[in-house]
Amino acid sequence: MKLDLLHQPDSAIAKITMAPQEELVAEAGAMVAMSPYMNVSTTLRQGKGGGILGGLKRMVAGESLFLSVFRSGNSDAELFLAPKLMGDILPYQLKGTELVVQSTGYMASTPQVDIDLGFQGFKSLFSGESLFWLSMSGSGVVLLSAFGAIYEIDVAGEYVVDTGHIVAFEKTLDFSISKANPSWIGSFLGGEGLVCRFRGQGKVFCQTHNPGAFGQLVGSKLPPR
Amino acid sequence: MATTQYTIEHNPSYALLKLSLGAEQTVMVEAGAMSAMDSCIEMKSKAKGGLMGGLGRMLGGESLFISEFTAKGKPGDVYVSPGVPGDIQHYYLDGSRNLMVQSSGFVAADPTVTIDTQFQGFKGFFSGESLFLLKVTGEGNFWFSSFGAILEIPVDGGYVVDTGYIVAFEDTLSYDVELISGLSFNGLKTGILGGEGFVARFSGKGRLWIQSRNLYPFINFLNPFRPVKSSNDSD
Repeated sequence: MKLDLLHQPDSAIAKITMAPQEELVAEAGAMVAMSPYMNVSTTLRQGKGGGILGGLKRMVAGESLFLSVFRSGNSDAELFLAPKLMGDILPYQLKGTELVVQSTGYMASTPQVDIDLGFQGFKSLFSGESLFWLSMSGSGVVLLSAFGAIYEIDVAGEYVVDTGHIVAFEKTLDFSISKANPSWIGSFLGGEGLVCRFRGQGKVFCQTHNPGAFGQLVGSKLPPR
Repeated sequence: MATTQYTIEHNPSYALLKLSLGAEQTVMVEAGAMSAMDSCIEMKSKAKGGLMGGLGRMLGGESLFISEFTAKGKPGDVYVSPGVPGDIQHYYLDGSRNLMVQSSGFVAADPTVTIDTQFQGFKGFFSGESLFLLKVTGEGNFWFSSFGAILEIPVDGGYVVDTGYIVAFEDTLSYDVELISGLSFNGLKTGILGGEGFVARFSGKGRLWIQSRNLYPFINFLNPFRPVKSSNDSD
């Protein structure tokens, strides 16, 4: 399997060239174009949080219920995948390590990667979006998508990141979610909702823009539903 | 006729088309897309193809009018910006084949090019996607735009594209719209528009252009952020 990332960072699109009998799992709706003989099916990942219930949870969290599985079959095949929002794609290599991905940051993964529904955080009071995480383990490549560009923070000790800006982080990090400002009023006025406080050693992948903040800015000016 | 000089700047995400017209040269531009021009350029609004043509364009999601820009007396530049941030692609029609373009994809064209809307009937694109395509014929330059970057796919045999990502294709390619169950989420509405797994299956030999983003998932993303109508307003 060969991966080419084109038009980074704003309009990134992934071109995946597959050899015969290869397989790729992707978020529902990520498929842009593909070879004519590609076999596509949907899957519900089993596991601790998987199955129907997991699927429902995923739906509640705004994540699609199904994942699509692409199989090249007997011939070489091409597949184009793209994120929904303007922004970048980052490939992350899993080698027996674990990666926690914000539900909207997942785009695709190779078949040896196990996807687990992680904990459902709790609703952020201000943005209305629920924090919801996927836990990736096994080995292979995970394609992450971001709103805007992606930057990496090497945490050694402690670091604080706004939850709306987290794409993914390595599970070697301990974390806790708290308010940015010690007083609720202060954190409300500051526009800073919830932050993730990371401790330990590992990488955090962040996006330059916060989809929730953008959605609120534009959405609040649209006609009511 | 002198060939139209052009440059495409700031692509693929914020593409801007600069057309450099010779004296008395005319170019057709999507109505409202002109962003800046030399003062010697004269603008005329015109619905190409008569009333029915204009009507067809309106139904196709395209603005009713196309504007004509002519450099009067001396050469001049026109800057054209599509409404959506993305890419612009140039295509030269040599008369041997026609170009089919997604209904909102028109940016600019030489006046020797004819643009017609073509109802795609039941073969058309469903679910918020337009049922119309622009059919571009004649000889001359044509420019079309996208949401996100444009990728060219040389099709020889077949290719499958989600209907929301099609930008343009040569009419030497034929297509059928179908539903791929592995991409569809029956009964589970994932959004207000699109997402039903409709794809166009192209066959034949020719060039196909796709875009790296699709407007409908973006609109679906914004939808939950809209204010909720209170019960007092609902009368």
